[in-house]
Amino acid sequence: MREKRGQLLVENVIFIILNLVFLTIMILFVVKQGAGASILEQSYAKQISLIIDSAKPGAIIKINMLDAKKVADEKGVPFEEIVTHEKNFVTVRLSEKGGYTYTFFNDVDVEIYPDDVFYIITVDKKIGGEND
Amino acid sequence: MIRGKKAESKIISVYWFVILLLVATGIIVMVNVFYGSPYDIRRIEAEILSENIANCISPGGEINEDLLSPTEIFKEEFRDNFLSRCNVTLDAQSEFKDIQYYLEIEFTKKDSPKRVLFEIVEGNPNFKEDCNLDGTKHEKLVQCVQKEFYSMGEKGTLYSIKMTSMVRKTEQNAK
Repeated sequence: MREKRGQLLVENVIFIILNLVFLTIMILFVVKQGAGASILEQSYAKQISLIIDSAKPGAIIKINMLDAKKVADEKGVPFEEIVTHEKNFVTVRLSEKGGYTYTFFNDVDVEIYPDDVFYIITVDKKIGGEND
Repeated sequence: MIRGKKAESKIISVYWFVILLLVATGIIVMVNVFYGSPYDIRRIEAEILSENIANCISPGGEINEDLLSPTEIFKEEFRDNFLSRCNVTLDAQSEFKDIQYYLEIEFTKKDSPKRVLFEIVEGNPNFKEDCNLDGTKHEKLVQCVQKEFYSMGEKGTLYSIKMTSMVRKTEQNAK
């Protein structure tokens, strides 16, 4: 009888451990999906575009890009090359073959450069613009 | 008795395995649907565009003096250089792509709201009709934001300004 009770306890412990393993795998899956390069590229490109659109000339904005840095380091992309901009569009690239580009409508002079785990965005009036 | 219990626990574990499989499939499908659809920021973009234009044509609640003369005549020159005067560029990512924005601004007097005195139109008018579609049909095609506010001329005349801003960018924001 005592042996049977012991067996029951072991079965229950194994059952609970297996459930916990399953739960952990599921959580890791969800977290990994949310931190994927393509999702981060899209979210950062859109965030930066919206920031530039709503910024007034003279604004200096600092964005923490630690998440992006971790992914870029894994994929072998230097942090200085993650965010680039040309004319009125911003590109965020976290993997060699990837990259996401989004346009903004604010016609201003934009400078984007890295600083530690941050990216600094400076917005100024366009030189030679109508309102100068 | 013990044999019956063993069989029962085996059946339960098979059921449990099936339940786990169902839960796992559900989670995988939901996560893929959630992360597979892009973030739709077009409404926010259209709101910001409207605000920027409103600040440009009516800074501080008075109509921009470059737009309305002291004798209260709207200036054509402002309309011609509207985008550069308001620091807005509607250019597409490449020359081969269509412009993804549309802007329409109507000026009327507060006491005669039906008579449009001046109008500024910029961008791509092709998707203007999509805004008039019923219900949520148009939301995937284009995001439209309409705003109306009052602004004063130099002589104290009150003008009503009706503004419509539209952002398409469907491929990047809707699935």
